[in-house]
Amino acid sequence: MKRVIGSVAWAAVAVGAAFCLAGIAVNRGEPINSMWLLLAAACVYLLGFRFYGKFIAARVMALNDDRATPAERLRDGIDFEPTNKWILLGHHFAAIAGPGPLVGPVLAAQFGYLPGTLWIILGAVLGGAVQDFVILFASMRRDGKSLGQMAREEIGRVGGITALLTVLLIMIILLAVVALVVVNALKGSPWGTFTIVATMPIAVFMGLYLRYWRPGKVLECSIIGFMLVMAGIFLGQGVAESATFAPWFTLSGAALAIAIIVYGFLASALPVWLLLAPRGYLSTFVKLGVLLLLAAGILLVRPQLQLPAFTRFVDGTGPIFAGKIFPFCFITIACGAISGFHSLISSGTTPKMIAKEWHAWPVGYGSMLLESFVAVMAMIAASVMQPGVFFAVNSPEGIVGAAPAAAAATITGWGFPVTAPEMASLAREVGEQTLFSRTGGAPSLALGMAHIFARGGGEALVGFWYHFAIMFEALFILTIIDAGTRVGRFMLQDLLGHVWEPLGRTNWMPGVIGFSAAIVAAWGYFLYQGVRDPLGGINSLWPLFGIANQLLAAIALCVATTILIKMHGARYLWLTSIPLAWLLCVTFTAAWQKIFSPAPAIGFLAQADKLQRALQAGAMTAAKAAETRALIFNARLDALLCGIFLALVATILIDSVRVWIGILRGSRESHVREAPFVLSRLRAEEL
Amino acid sequence: MSCLRKLGRLVAGLLRELADESAYQRHLEQHGRAHSGVEWRRFSEARLRAKYSQPKCC
Repeated sequence: MKRVIGSVAWAAVAVGAAFCLAGIAVNRGEPINSMWLLLAAACVYLLGFRFYGKFIAARVMALNDDRATPAERLRDGIDFEPTNKWILLGHHFAAIAGPGPLVGPVLAAQFGYLPGTLWIILGAVLGGAVQDFVILFASMRRDGKSLGQMAREEIGRVGGITALLTVLLIMIILLAVVALVVVNALKGSPWGTFTIVATMPIAVFMGLYLRYWRPGKVLECSIIGFMLVMAGIFLGQGVAESATFAPWFTLSGAALAIAIIVYGFLASALPVWLLLAPRGYLSTFVKLGVLLLLAAGILLVRPQLQLPAFTRFVDGTGPIFAGKIFPFCFITIACGAISGFHSLISSGTTPKMIAKEWHAWPVGYGSMLLESFVAVMAMIAASVMQPGVFFAVNSPEGIVGAAPAAAAATITGWGFPVTAPEMASLAREVGEQTLFSRTGGAPSLALGMAHIFARGGGEALVGFWYHFAIMFEALFILTIIDAGTRVGRFMLQDLLGHVWEPLGRTNWMPGVIGFSAAIVAAWGYFLYQGVRDPLGGINSLWPLFGIANQLLAAIALCVATTILIKMHGARYLWLTSIPLAWLLCVTFTAAWQKIFSPAPAIGFLAQADKLQRALQAGAMTAAKAAETRALIFNARLDALLCGIFLALVATILIDSVRVWIGILRGSRESHVREAPFVLSRLRAEEL
Repeated sequence: MSCLRKLGRLVAGLLRELADESAYQRHLEQHGRAHSGVEWRRFSEARLRAKYSQPKCC
């Protein structure tokens, strides 16, 4: 009887999924309610988790709760510790949820809400969650080894070194692009800038509080820190309205970029407990709280989507970034569907905390579905705005012009009506000087969130909610910058420590300062390049980041495929090789187009040639000529970087295919390098 | 009611895990030591060194 009820319930979920997806797909020309998207996503996730995820767990991985996990066998109370599966799911989700699934869908909304939403849902179920789950499983069966270690052991030395180099390069682009998102969100915004500046002394206060005044009281300290940050947001409004203080915090993009570069250097060189750790704790709690608040807000308000299902920019002429749906929608969404970075987390802390093998199913597969759900919510937040407002906020000055009236006329000419007074009124409402050309995704996401929160309670507080959302985005992006700079330094020291041993010592002060400066200089260069780009920088940097991230996912899927072939031969090859083939098609096409497309809006080399011709025509001032030469160099550098990414991934792919063919032909050993079976003695009630 | 209590315990457990307070408690139990400022600093230095040698997700 129970079985029948279960079957009927799952059939109802399947019908619900089909009904909602059909509802979204056939609805044209009139706004639809966001609940259609939420329900479609929820039903597909449930089906994917229950059937596909369980199939992988039971048949492909043959998870076995009688087998002791590394958390049980190597238990040390710190890294290796069996943890309740729901707590671990929350812990893993907090670790994988970054700005990518929030910003990517907002940018991809330039194609309309439909293509991005479908990819977020299906990509996560069939690709992203599979990658995270298989890598988590593989690491769990190998005593918590990292992706790089597994690549070296399963594929070979070339694979391992390539993976390390790729991660380092991706980190540099990632840090530059997320820093650019913050710069664009805070540019000319005294309220937002004051709030973020205020978080620095608050973090230092928290660091001292935790270290000397109330050691170990992290939750208590985080609550105090959160209250101080909220006070900072309220004070920010006063600062923005003050004739004396507002100019201090009204900074240009270049000034903000330099400030963030200096912050990144200090955070990398200063003791972790003083700045990084307290900000990290605070940002984790704020992040989880705001995501829950956004989910509750959408459920409560059930807003109508104002963006159309498809916009005219599916033809590749979009103002936010140029290029057609294939491949650029997939590159732009990135982390909301598949994220290469997750493979680093899935082979980091989490596999060392899994108590029972079957817990890897909700933790590995389920967490990615939750992240995808966050991406759907971001898409909803972007789509609740009037399309004209959405494009006015996200289109760079280089495309729509700097004058509000001209920008509004251009956007209205695209078929998305908006007026300059309407934008001015909206800016006043949220306490900003202007909302035109606030590229990067963060301001439009904040506007969408503020709209939802304000309708959920407190229409008068829309300015507060906008800056609350900006604070939330900037706070956790800055924790990625500070932690990422430090990790980049460690990676560089790890690589160069093989050349001269002192270079590898992470507490050797000349090394700390020199390598921190080197990493900061690397991402700071790309950040500054983005700030000076007349098209806003996001147009070139976000696709680079998306390509890099998806290529890292391709590396993870190469490792996963190798492991599956060693376990089962060709039987389950399709599980990871189909998402891998898709990712390779998308990323190689995107990278090829970004390098060689003859359209200057897309191809870096074509852009450099166009600028070169303008320079040779000679009708420029000396300053403009110098700026153009810098832009030409940057476009060629971006093309080179894109080429390096491709070469690195092609190397690891060729190496992997060589290994796969060898194993399938029987000319190469197919030994599965798992830790030996040990009977688990851990009881459920111990967790 | 018991469901809510269970959920509350889970949320509290998650927050304590994210705040490293559970890990600190385990550290004290593992080494048979009592809580003190010196002990917290010793624990947090090792913990944070490991934590901040891994990249944060995008």
